[in-house]
Amino acid sequence: MKEEKNINRRNFLSAATVVIGGVIGVSLGIPSLVYLTGPATQKTESENWIRLGSTAKIEIGTPTLFKVKVQHKAGWIVDEEEISVYVITQNGRAFVAMSNICTHLGCRVRWISENDSFFCPCHNAVFDEEGNVIDGPPPRPLDRYETKVENDSLFILV
Amino acid sequence: MSEKYLNWLDERVGFRSVWQAIFLRKIPKVNWLFTLGSATLFTAFIQIFTGILLTIYYVPTPDHAYDSVQYITTQVPAGWLIRGLHHWGASAMVVLTVLHMLRVILYGSYKFPREVTWFTGVFLLIIVIGFGFTGYLLPWDQKAYWATTVGTRIAGVAPFAGEWILRVVRGGEELSAVTLARFFGVHVWFLPASLILLLGTHMYLVIRLGISSLPKREE
Repeated sequence: MKEEKNINRRNFLSAATVVIGGVIGVSLGIPSLVYLTGPATQKTESENWIRLGSTAKIEIGTPTLFKVKVQHKAGWIVDEEEISVYVITQNGRAFVAMSNICTHLGCRVRWISENDSFFCPCHNAVFDEEGNVIDGPPPRPLDRYETKVENDSLFILV
Repeated sequence: MSEKYLNWLDERVGFRSVWQAIFLRKIPKVNWLFTLGSATLFTAFIQIFTGILLTIYYVPTPDHAYDSVQYITTQVPAGWLIRGLHHWGASAMVVLTVLHMLRVILYGSYKFPREVTWFTGVFLLIIVIGFGFTGYLLPWDQKAYWATTVGTRIAGVAPFAGEWILRVVRGGEELSAVTLARFFGVHVWFLPASLILLLGTHMYLVIRLGISSLPKREE
């Protein structure tokens, strides 16, 4: 009874309780955090090419509005969301497709033909026909979609 | 160093005497069967913990319940683990509670002065079974639906009040959105509230009275 004062039965059991409790806590705690933050860190579903319409419909030099439905999956619900895309071309061959979502706080911009610019009513942001910021608070130009032309139809990558 | 802060805190809240009363109390020399109550308590904590996590994604309506459970199981990272723990923990709860009860019966631990501890224990068993019954419906799959159809029908055969009980439990004639919603409400609010109340009393009495010692032959 003279040696190893530190490791008696009581101390051993206390230490074992702490260790086992710690293992259980960690093996439950880490998956819980992963579980809670999971949907935030998961990537959105794969991208698809969506047909906007015939390239013949796009006027040269003026943004043309297209509305298309895209499948949108959130959690266990898949629903259709309508997105609005402005397309401009200067020559009928190269196309720029822009989202109508203002890069400031997400309001919808619209083309004002009298002013030759996009206007966002929320905070008076103004973008030029290619989506560059002319005035107001947006931090960057309007977001663009990748485009391709197949059989005279314009597609965007959503 | 930290001792200084702990002393400061203990002087104000007295946690050491609480710790002493709960974890350092004297117990008679007993066997491993006397840990079944603690095992039940531990499993109950697991159930509460995983159950709270499941409510983050689960939606108790007929058009979302099944899909949200599938989403938890197949899409949410570690969702299979959280749901699995809750699923198997539910069975473990019933098994452990019953084993704990058998130990109390076989060792005569329900006798004076522990009768009230026993009474609360009996109601706790009913609550555990209530958890099992209401929780079984929540995944809203075929098994859940038909098990609850049968289970509620059993309540319906009670004399006189049977039909009325059946309608109250189902929230109408048939199993419906109303049934699912009320089973969920009972599962996550009514039963946990009752559980905490009764469990608190049960634990208080266990600590106040101490656990029983092994019965002796000559007594």
